Amino acid sequence: MSVPTTAPTAQSLSAWLVDRIGGYLQRPVEEIDTTVPLAEYGLDSVAALSLCGDIEEDFDLVVEPTVAWDYPTVEALTGHLLEEFAAGPGAA
Amino acid sequence: MPTGTEAAGRPPQAPAQEGQEGHGESAVPAGQEARAAARVAVLEEALGDPADERNEVSYAHLLQADEAGELSEPGERVLDEVMLNADFVPRGQGGRLERIDHLVRVLRPVFRRDVALGLGYGVTSFMAAVNVWAAGDGEQRRRMARLLLEGGKVSVAYHELAHGNDFVRNEFAAQAEAGGGYRLKGSKQVVNNAGRARAWVLFSRTDPAPGSRSHSVLFTGRDSCDPERYRVLPRYDSVGVRGCHLSGLEFDDCHVPPSDLVGEAGKGVEVALRAFQITRTAMPGMALGAADTALRTVVRFAAGRRLYRRTVLEIPHARAALAGAFTDLLVCDSLSLAASRAVHLLPAETSVYAAAVKYLVPRMLSETMNELAVVLGARYYVREGEFGIFQKHIRDLPVLSLGHAGSAACQATIIPQLSRLARRSWFTSPPAPPELFALRGDLPGIPFDRLTLTAGGDSLSATLVAAVDELPAGTPLEQAVRDLALGMVGELRQVQERSRALSATDRTALARPAAFALAERYTVLLAAASAIGVWQQARGDGTFLSDPAWLAAALHRLARRLGQRPPELPPQCGERVDREVLRRFEQQRSYDLYDTPLAG
Repeated sequence: MSVPTTAPTAQSLSAWLVDRIGGYLQRPVEEIDTTVPLAEYGLDSVAALSLCGDIEEDFDLVVEPTVAWDYPTVEALTGHLLEEFAAGPGAA
Repeated sequence: MPTGTEAAGRPPQAPAQEGQEGHGESAVPAGQEARAAARVAVLEEALGDPADERNEVSYAHLLQADEAGELSEPGERVLDEVMLNADFVPRGQGGRLERIDHLVRVLRPVFRRDVALGLGYGVTSFMAAVNVWAAGDGEQRRRMARLLLEGGKVSVAYHELAHGNDFVRNEFAAQAEAGGGYRLKGSKQVVNNAGRARAWVLFSRTDPAPGSRSHSVLFTGRDSCDPERYRVLPRYDSVGVRGCHLSGLEFDDCHVPPSDLVGEAGKGVEVALRAFQITRTAMPGMALGAADTALRTVVRFAAGRRLYRRTVLEIPHARAALAGAFTDLLVCDSLSLAASRAVHLLPAETSVYAAAVKYLVPRMLSETMNELAVVLGARYYVREGEFGIFQKHIRDLPVLSLGHAGSAACQATIIPQLSRLARRSWFTSPPAPPELFALRGDLPGIPFDRLTLTAGGDSLSATLVAAVDELPAGTPLEQAVRDLALGMVGELRQVQERSRALSATDRTALARPAAFALAERYTVLLAAASAIGVWQQARGDGTFLSDPAWLAAALHRLARRLGQRPPELPPQCGERVDREVLRRFEQQRSYDLYDTPLAG
């Protein structure tokens, strides 16, 4: 499994999330406000589950499948994921 | 002559076969299995011979009730008498529910006779109750158990027609009140038993915000509602299950107490998705009983009708259709068995298996019945008489693919998990434990709290991969099985590659048809793995299931379903399956994995 050599920053994580979510929604990344709930953009529950798989794949971090429900904005998700990284690999 | 209670309803020639039965009457295992077998026998005996018109729960009477748009009253009375509701209540709560595979077996005699009775009498209550078993507190569980054990019914209302399976967008509201409790407002449609249930499990919006944390599950008693504040909506007429009381509920600022909330506020989607894993797993296997009757009905027709100076049974096309149907039933039951035992043994993998069963089994059973209809010919269109039950079952069965979770919704559960399983699990996970496929093996309790929303892995497909190295290849039949299994493993490789390559939009509910097709192929592979597992477990026990003939036939049909063109099977394969179809017809045994004695 690929493990990033350096821990992601808030900025890089946020950009990564916006990029992925833009892909699911088929919207330009500029349109995605990091403080607006993803459900308001129409991100469905199936895509939310797919996003968890992406996080696991790209960061080797196992997250609860409900993570995008509990942290419904890019900003909230970024904050939560940073805490998870700080807790160490596999801590989730 | 046979003796003992289990012999009831069996023809005298049955004991001659005892020698090749691994699980004959003399060797009833103790414990869980003995309880299940005894319970199935009680149901079968109480419902009686369905072909005997003097029996009030015969096909003839059930057809009359269906024509009248009513549930069979004697049928409901019999199920009251045997207290079927107890089978929906965990043993710990004073009921009989201990295993999902057993629940499937116990309901099968009911569905064999009448899908509407199976759904309308009981399974609706079970679907409601599971939410409370999975997420309710002690008091709610006691309340549910009491209600069911007293013979009461409970309705479950997830859906609103406007939103279909996209129930995260549901609008029926339960607004929290300042003084505690909730105020119900809005309506729920197509709710089974809404008008006669003593309580309802209501999936309700508790927060106007969009998303998946805005709904909660309420367990609301009818007598706690002000009758001025709710009404039961008019009944729907339906194509099938005409006897079911499908209506709706409308609430107008109806107050309910805070103790109605099941689990945490805002966690309703999770509660429902967990409960779905149990019910999606269980219901298709129950409904297999209807296809069992359809096959028996067509065998009876084929054995009795003469065309071209021979019976229909001697016409190769008809024989092939019957053998194919029986094979499909065994495949469906294998997948149902593996999934329902996975609830106990592999709860963290159940989300995918439950969706696979709910997707594939109703589809396969409906297709099978359509193939059987060809053999029945014009009689398939007749609504009465000896073969009338066939058209009823063929109309009733599709309800399994409609209510509760549509086929596409089940595929949508699988789609976001494909790429993850492709990367993390397939070809690397260890195979499933052999107990997953042990028809009569004991199981630990139902771990409601360990069911997860996505699968942590998939050891069922690993059984398929591992089998390729383990399967014998001595006889031509064994060789055929091995080749077919190899073909399945090749297919899993392709599914893996394509799953890895799925684009972002193909991993949402709006995925292209290709992603849905991929999910379907995967469910077929899980079915193949289940059949292999069942055969491996049965090996050496001398029963029909230990014969590679059925497995070869099963894998062959699944390979063709995948679009492969496997070589024809050795002729002894079809002959063996044909013989079993006839044996079970003559000896009144069920057309499923269990080879159960039937009342008729």
